[in-house]
Amino acid sequence: MARVLSVLGTLLRGLVQCACIVMLTFLLCRVMPGDVVDVLGLEGGLTAEQQAQMRHDLGLDQPLAVQFGDWVTHAVAGDFGRSIRFDRPVMDMLATAVPVTLRLTVLSFAFGLTLALVLALAATARPSRLFDVLIDGVNIWSIAVPTFCAGVIAILVFSIWLGWLPVIGGLLAPVLIIGLDNAGQIVKQLREELKEAVTLPHVRTARAKGLSPWRVSVFHVMPATMGVVLALSGLVLGSLVAGSLTMEVLFALPGLGSLTLNAIHGRDYPVILAAVTLISVSLVLINTTMDVLHRLVDPRLA
Amino acid sequence: MTSFVTSRRGLLAGAATLAGALTVLPVRVLAQNARKGVLKYATLGLDTSDPHRHTGSIAVQQSYVEALTSIAANGAVEPFLAESFAVSPDGLTYTFRLREGVRFHNGDLLTARDVAANFERVKSKVKGGWLVSALQQVSKLETPDDRTVVVTLDEPFAPFLNLLSELWILSPKSAGWDETISLPIGTGPFTFGDWQPKVKLVTPAFADYWKAGAPRVEAVEFDLRDGIDKSLALRAGDLHIVSVDLQAAQDLQKAGVAEISGLKDTAWYFAAFNNRKPRKPFDDIRVRRALMHAVDKAAVMNFVGGDKSIVTNQLVASGNIYFDQALHDADEFRKPDLDQARKLLAEAGVTPEDHTIEFVSWQETHPQIVVQMVRKLGFKVNHVALDDIGTQKRLGQYDWDMSVTNSGPRSDIFLRFVRLMSDGPNPVLWGGIQDPELDSLIKQAVREPDSDKRKEFYLQAFRRTMEKGYFFVLGHAPDFIAIRNGIKGYDPGFTWACHWASGGVAVTAIDA
Repeated sequence: MARVLSVLGTLLRGLVQCACIVMLTFLLCRVMPGDVVDVLGLEGGLTAEQQAQMRHDLGLDQPLAVQFGDWVTHAVAGDFGRSIRFDRPVMDMLATAVPVTLRLTVLSFAFGLTLALVLALAATARPSRLFDVLIDGVNIWSIAVPTFCAGVIAILVFSIWLGWLPVIGGLLAPVLIIGLDNAGQIVKQLREELKEAVTLPHVRTARAKGLSPWRVSVFHVMPATMGVVLALSGLVLGSLVAGSLTMEVLFALPGLGSLTLNAIHGRDYPVILAAVTLISVSLVLINTTMDVLHRLVDPRLA
Repeated sequence: MTSFVTSRRGLLAGAATLAGALTVLPVRVLAQNARKGVLKYATLGLDTSDPHRHTGSIAVQQSYVEALTSIAANGAVEPFLAESFAVSPDGLTYTFRLREGVRFHNGDLLTARDVAANFERVKSKVKGGWLVSALQQVSKLETPDDRTVVVTLDEPFAPFLNLLSELWILSPKSAGWDETISLPIGTGPFTFGDWQPKVKLVTPAFADYWKAGAPRVEAVEFDLRDGIDKSLALRAGDLHIVSVDLQAAQDLQKAGVAEISGLKDTAWYFAAFNNRKPRKPFDDIRVRRALMHAVDKAAVMNFVGGDKSIVTNQLVASGNIYFDQALHDADEFRKPDLDQARKLLAEAGVTPEDHTIEFVSWQETHPQIVVQMVRKLGFKVNHVALDDIGTQKRLGQYDWDMSVTNSGPRSDIFLRFVRLMSDGPNPVLWGGIQDPELDSLIKQAVREPDSDKRKEFYLQAFRRTMEKGYFFVLGHAPDFIAIRNGIKGYDPGFTWACHWASGGVAVTAIDA
């Protein structure tokens, strides 16, 4: 019961954070210079009177509290409205963008975690200078090279000089860059945890029984560090959402990041609010899921 | 014997059918076979699927919708869906003869009634834009037969034919016709395919396009993404035709991967003053002139357009029929003259150090150069550089003193002058001029059927803007277009249009 209450508490805290983020976004949208009618006015040559009429039709002349309340009422019912700029359902636009971001984040996360685990396990199973250097290299790369710099270099080398990858829309380069960055963030800590786990009594027993180093690492050392792996994964997944937005813009991937950025440029309020809500709810869910999993694998936290 | 006759008849009938098929099929089959590759095109975006609701700088929708007229590369009006047109001597009646055999993408033949329905839709349903004011003057619309449309205006309106190049003719069966068109059915060489706003639009070739041998590619994929480095994408082969800035154009030319060309109509760059609510001392023409004397126009324009830039004081560049050489030669701001600037300020009794210029611009580089130049006179400058919409909003508040912006190619000179009118659309870039005398001159130009007299009215109107110091032109520069090696048959047109009667994507082929 205490465990369920604790999870619910985490979830509730997250939802309150979400509500604050959405409210703040709503307010920030309105303090930006210019609104969506200015955008449409600029493109369509509307007179001041026509712009005023359009603001009235869109409800933009209502008090902010009324506008926000109206949006929340519809959003809670699953209706995010229509894009004012493109006159399309916001849900349709999200449905096109979300899979792109999801593909990028899932693949990057899988690549990063796998790389970190393989390197850390290899260094544990067969301690050698080579693996230590590789781990340090990946770690230093992630600290020293921002992903957008790596992205520009990748475009220059692999797209322009070698012609192997596309400049726009390609998934391979951003996945490798974000994945490498993620791996660098967790590999060092993972290695240290594994090093410590090797000295645990049950691991010593396993080794004494004559099990192979790989078997010992995978079946006895790794489970002992699952808590740390989950905690680190939670951190990485959180930063991954933000990191993937940068890569989406750099590699012109039509995901959630690009959609949000374009909506901000066009002052397309329904799209901005829906995208920010989705991103913040995703982060809350990731954190809560990690929290729950952490409690499940580590009875001390229950 | 009978069977022989029957066979012979059958043979003859078969031969006739085959001959008939050979005369009909080849053009279509050969055209389809000749189509090769997908053209990747990235200049401007697409903000609506309803062609009637968008005016101004548009570069995509011409691929799937066409108009009665189009603007040739030299700026002249040419017949498009209308194979010919005639204007009555009084400039009130326009008669259009439609091209025969033009089909919409749904297979229907284009008729005069369809054209009339499009005129009516824009007139009654669309708010804002240049076309609306033009169509308000249409007093009568007649369709004496399936291929003739007669339009009668209340009073002469000289830009009418040019403006019709943006009145897209769609099938009234297009989805959303009564509100917002979601699936436009046009007559263009390509059809409206998969559209992802701000991402891409794929337009597959239209097999029954009216122009023989066109289009020459299987589809055009318009890249609508903002903020991507189009020049890098072109180098990598991801894009074929892109718009680029001066630096990228020079780099691409140096790398030898693309041919650089420019839109035939130039963009004009200018410094404007707040004319609606001017603050002291910037309401004084002497102060405005002093500020312009501090600006090195050649240096600013070189930054924008390199050796393709033109330093002048007019709305159009040399070569345009509305360009006036005498006025150009008399440009007092051709070279910076700080002494003259200081003399004017002294005359006006202004000590620059006592004043801060509220300066607004887009987030571009050349306004910063202008800011540094006017600072030389001793003025303090509070430079606010905003994005498109922020600039528009700030300028609309009329709480600023000076701005430096630019405006792109247009299908008619009127679309440059209309912004200077008291009730014109989006007047903020020019400081919201309110001048009935100027309005009257522009209206006289618009009503004048005789081209020489019209030019004179426009010239008088422009001279008035200079005398009043509403704004001052810095010069002109083309918008650069890079065409990747291996792309054949494409040369940029007069405006941003991607397709017009005598050129564009319909006649573009991919050779490599």
